[in-house]
Amino acid sequence: MIIRQSIGSVLRSLMAIALVAVLVLGSGLTARATTQQELDEITAQWQTSAHGLNDVNCASCHQNKETKEFIETPNHESCQSCHEQSVDTFLLSKHGIRLLEEKSPLTPAMARLPMKHEAMDQQMNCNACHNVHSANTVEASVDACLTCHNDNHSLNYQNSKHAELFADSKELPRPGAGAVSCATCHLPREVDDRLETPIVYVNHNNTYNLKPQDRMVGDVCMNCHGIEYSYNSIFDPELVEANFDRSPTLELQTFDLMKAAEERRTGNTSN
Amino acid sequence: MARILGRRLGKWVSLRTGIILAVIILLLWVSAAFALDQKQVFLPGETSEGHHIFEASCASCHEGFKPVSNETCTRCHQAELTDDVHGTKKFRDPRWAEYLERVDVLTCTACHNEHVHMFDRGVNLQPELCMACHEELTTTQLKSHEGFAADGCWTAGCHNYHDHRTISTGFLRQNIGEPDMLPVQVLPDRVVTTSLDKAPTPDLTQEFLGGGS
Repeated sequence: MIIRQSIGSVLRSLMAIALVAVLVLGSGLTARATTQQELDEITAQWQTSAHGLNDVNCASCHQNKETKEFIETPNHESCQSCHEQSVDTFLLSKHGIRLLEEKSPLTPAMARLPMKHEAMDQQMNCNACHNVHSANTVEASVDACLTCHNDNHSLNYQNSKHAELFADSKELPRPGAGAVSCATCHLPREVDDRLETPIVYVNHNNTYNLKPQDRMVGDVCMNCHGIEYSYNSIFDPELVEANFDRSPTLELQTFDLMKAAEERRTGNTSN
Repeated sequence: MARILGRRLGKWVSLRTGIILAVIILLLWVSAAFALDQKQVFLPGETSEGHHIFEASCASCHEGFKPVSNETCTRCHQAELTDDVHGTKKFRDPRWAEYLERVDVLTCTACHNEHVHMFDRGVNLQPELCMACHEELTTTQLKSHEGFAADGCWTAGCHNYHDHRTISTGFLRQNIGEPDMLPVQVLPDRVVTTSLDKAPTPDLTQEFLGGGS
């Protein structure tokens, strides 16, 4: 018992030291003010952004509405007050689930997939992918992903036909309807038609359509590709790894079965 | 006699000391795991692909030692179950009661288990699970499926247990024969409108420069 108590007290002192260290470091960080130059750059980005031109001012995010207290680094709850669907879906994703569970944000160091060494401590919150001052979602659609992801599928994107389609959007504030970025498939735009005026929002739950893959086929691939092409591509792990750099060679038996059933049903054997 | 007794006593004492030491070590180990927030040590096995990033957050799924409830799962997975073809809509209908007795499909944990070996869909399934109800189909209406592996339903990429909107025979029949590239290729477009021609004057400045509010 004595040993347990003394270990307990040692642990408590260690935790107290850690807490003091965090507070000292933390206060050091909050004390660091933005320079005038940084502020000018941020202001310039904001002035032409969708935020600036919709009267979303600094205080909208950087000030507590009730206490008027200054908030240096607003969190996802601040974004959620306007971007409800985006944040709600983000919190159900692998990227956001730790925040939902009130844990520290996810970092690439916790991932099982290969991640870039220099990004291991990057904390997954809205700011990790979005520059909220420019509100430019072109960067969030590909560059942000490749800051951390280092697996073959991600790295091969740049050589794909999809990346060619994305090139036209590089100078825009958000990807055009013909662009295919990482986000097109993994954070797809969805139409919320439950509303009186249906709106297109971005489903930030990147795990929703990942497995089983047929959900991605229906929600994403079939916006552009035929069903057989889509299924024969996405069920071929090699082609997925190569990020679809060629036409599919797989021939899923399910389509043969369907064709045979159709022939039996219609009595037509011509096709 | 006294020597034998002494030896026995010695044995008993050392056994007792051993047990006490073991209990102390166990207690220390458990308390250290809590104090250092290293609750992974209590995990009974490998956590699945989707859950491992919050595997030390036991309370996310477990309430004490109670079994994991459907509510726990749907708190995060509701979207995936919106059009559940094996859901309550079907199985609250008494016509299907007999099948519900074979597999309690309205309870998530009847099929899904965490902390055990996982297949690539993040679930632990008995390979022949579908056959509990669908076996007779393969010998009657679906003779074309005769001889297929029992786990092929879901490993071959043909069927989706919960959501078969885009893989049902009706959907395949409707879309089969489409060209590789559809004649019209459209993704939903995001329309962002602006209400001002010019951004207003920034309402906080000194605060960012460290001047306080």
